[in-house]
Amino acid sequence: MSGSFFSLMSIALGAILVSNVVFSQLLGAGPFLKGSGSLRAALGTGLAVTLVMTLTSAACWPVNEYILVPNGLKFVEMAIFLLIAVFLVELLELLWRKLAPGRELPSTGGLPLAANCAVLGVVLQNVQNVSSFLQSLTYGVAGGLGFLLAILLFAGVRERLEFAECPKAFEGLPIALVTAGLLALCFTGFSNLNIFG
Amino acid sequence: MKEYQDRKLTVAPSPHIGSPVGTRAFMLDVLIALVPALAMGIFFFGPRALALTAVSVLGCEVFEGLYRLALKKPGSGGDLSAAVTGVLLAFACPVSMPYWIILIGDFFAIVVVKQLFGGLGKNFLNPALAGRVFLSLCYLPEMTLWIRPGTKFWLGLAQTGADGVSTATPMADLHNGVLPWMGTSGVRLHDMFYGNIGGCIGEVSALALLFGGAYLVLRGVIHLRIPAAYLGTVAVLAYATAPLTAASQWVLVQLLGGGLMLGALFMATDYVTTPCTPWGEVLFGIGCGILTVFLRVFGGVEGVSYAILLMNVCAPLLEKFTRPRRYGAPKGRRKKEEKGGGEK
Amino acid sequence: MNIGKQIKGGLLTRNPVAVRLVGLCAAVAVTTTLLNGLGMGLCVTAVLILSNGILSALWFYLPQRLRTISAIMVTAALGGAADLLIQAFFPALAGELGLFLPLVPVTVILLGGAGTYAYENTVASSMLEGLCQGLGYTLVLTLAGFLRELLGKGSFGFGFLEGGQGIRLFPEQYAALGLNGPVGGFLALGCVAALVQYFNGRPKRTKKKEKEGAKG
Repeated sequence: MSGSFFSLMSIALGAILVSNVVFSQLLGAGPFLKGSGSLRAALGTGLAVTLVMTLTSAACWPVNEYILVPNGLKFVEMAIFLLIAVFLVELLELLWRKLAPGRELPSTGGLPLAANCAVLGVVLQNVQNVSSFLQSLTYGVAGGLGFLLAILLFAGVRERLEFAECPKAFEGLPIALVTAGLLALCFTGFSNLNIFG
Repeated sequence: MKEYQDRKLTVAPSPHIGSPVGTRAFMLDVLIALVPALAMGIFFFGPRALALTAVSVLGCEVFEGLYRLALKKPGSGGDLSAAVTGVLLAFACPVSMPYWIILIGDFFAIVVVKQLFGGLGKNFLNPALAGRVFLSLCYLPEMTLWIRPGTKFWLGLAQTGADGVSTATPMADLHNGVLPWMGTSGVRLHDMFYGNIGGCIGEVSALALLFGGAYLVLRGVIHLRIPAAYLGTVAVLAYATAPLTAASQWVLVQLLGGGLMLGALFMATDYVTTPCTPWGEVLFGIGCGILTVFLRVFGGVEGVSYAILLMNVCAPLLEKFTRPRRYGAPKGRRKKEEKGGGEK
Repeated sequence: MNIGKQIKGGLLTRNPVAVRLVGLCAAVAVTTTLLNGLGMGLCVTAVLILSNGILSALWFYLPQRLRTISAIMVTAALGGAADLLIQAFFPALAGELGLFLPLVPVTVILLGGAGTYAYENTVASSMLEGLCQGLGYTLVLTLAGFLRELLGKGSFGFGFLEGGQGIRLFPEQYAALGLNGPVGGFLALGCVAALVQYFNGRPKRTKKKEKEGAKG
């Protein structure tokens, strides 16, 4: 039991630091750049992506293992996963409205959250490489936490960037991309990380 | 600042008596403090250490001048911050580094990391460190060729890979979990203290760096909070991860090895990229220490540059959460502020 | 709508990547060479044109509630087909694009706003809009790919010209290898986005531009 626990921990830390969803796999650059306008927005986006990624990973792995693969339906996997993601996001929005009526949604909204390279990329990798439900779930949670860490750090830096005086052409998105590149540069320090042997 | 300087008459609140202390004076002090380390570098690695540093300084100043000229901004070469970046970048490179590589590092540090964001005070990463990390990402073999001290290099290109020139550094032994004098580098503790080891130009001599750091502290240029928190954390964690038999020696080797002294005294104390609140500074130092040891133990790399850069990234957050409460402000102020500055 | 204006919109004023901020992750990830950027861009363009055309033709038959879902289904089906076709005819390109080839439908859904344009315009206009947006996307990806390949590999047309090695512009030992990774992706895309903003003439803040994009 402890062995598997450590291997899951190792997977999780690796997914957060070494193969970070944003800085190493380059998934989810869209919500990463759009949802990081302020620290509060970043927290909302990060938590939302984490939640959706976890649930979608949990839902898609059994669907793939028990429905798609046995019936030779691999070629429609993307459509199915997209539908699952959209359905889950709709469900979460409904729940949010019920639980916190009158409060704004903490992210940019339904479709961008579901049709999101970060979520679906992690799901695709899971069904390609992962052999158990628990591992798939771990990748989902860790991928989301990696995204959360990245977007929080990025939002902190971006709040500082409001005082930057960059050339006109670089204002807005370009300087944000350069900033993200520099953050990715910092994260290369983890690329040889080897924690549990 | 700049607007005021350009005007003939200024209207400003008190104090009205100007002080000669400005960026230029601080940077000059930093340059002076780096001289002993440069001298040791030249002593151990030959005149090429000086040439490489000079090229790097020149490169930084030229790139800064060209960029500001191209964007029609007032020149800022006079504040010497680019010169400090140049020296620090050269100090964090091996002496055998080809000149063109260090010029690429200068370009990245000055143009991409610093000036693109608006110049001094606007960058969020330490330019010299970012330049170094970029170089080790792009030109790893050149960045990790460690030259045996005493191999005198003249100005020409180094003969890379020649036998008997390259050597193992104490850090390599530390990564393997053995003390240097029992490992492949065969370096002794006093060698590490004086700088008679393989490594980057400016990082080898802990003695010279400590001299420089003491000078900066006495001149009031840097505060001890960050270096003390940084080195203290590294010491404690090194003690915790040491082999059982030689814990205290292990701690000393961890403290003297790699780029720790250079990083803790000269790079982690950069005003621009560190928090400006006292508690933020302490947390910054502790974070640097934890990440350094973490990367040294698990990461397979010399973690100092990455640790400081990662903490630079965290600095705005640390600053935000350690900001002292305004005197007399109501306790609910924070919530209100967040509401006001809500989404986007 | 004025065709010239539509083309200019896709390439510059409403450029999907630089102005509307969609499809960024593929743009950062696959632009390691000129050819990869071009291939990804053309693939997205083809799927976008077809899905816009089909959705525009279908809108009359679709009840309001099913429109988003059908947009997703149509795009996913077309994307799946494109995925299989590229795997069959350009296996090398499919290998280079990796995970981002199956993610093409996600990009297309975001680029086409899940059919928001197609449901409100004629088939021809929707397909033209798809073409323009796709070309804008291709332009950015190709430029970023060119830049990264030039600096990171020192070659031009890697995987295509000169027997797959590309035209060597300077020896490989001088190339900045770091730009082949994530760092280079962000930096190169930042430069290209800056270029687009520069050509847009009156660079305002991104948020205002997004609004303009939504209106136009």
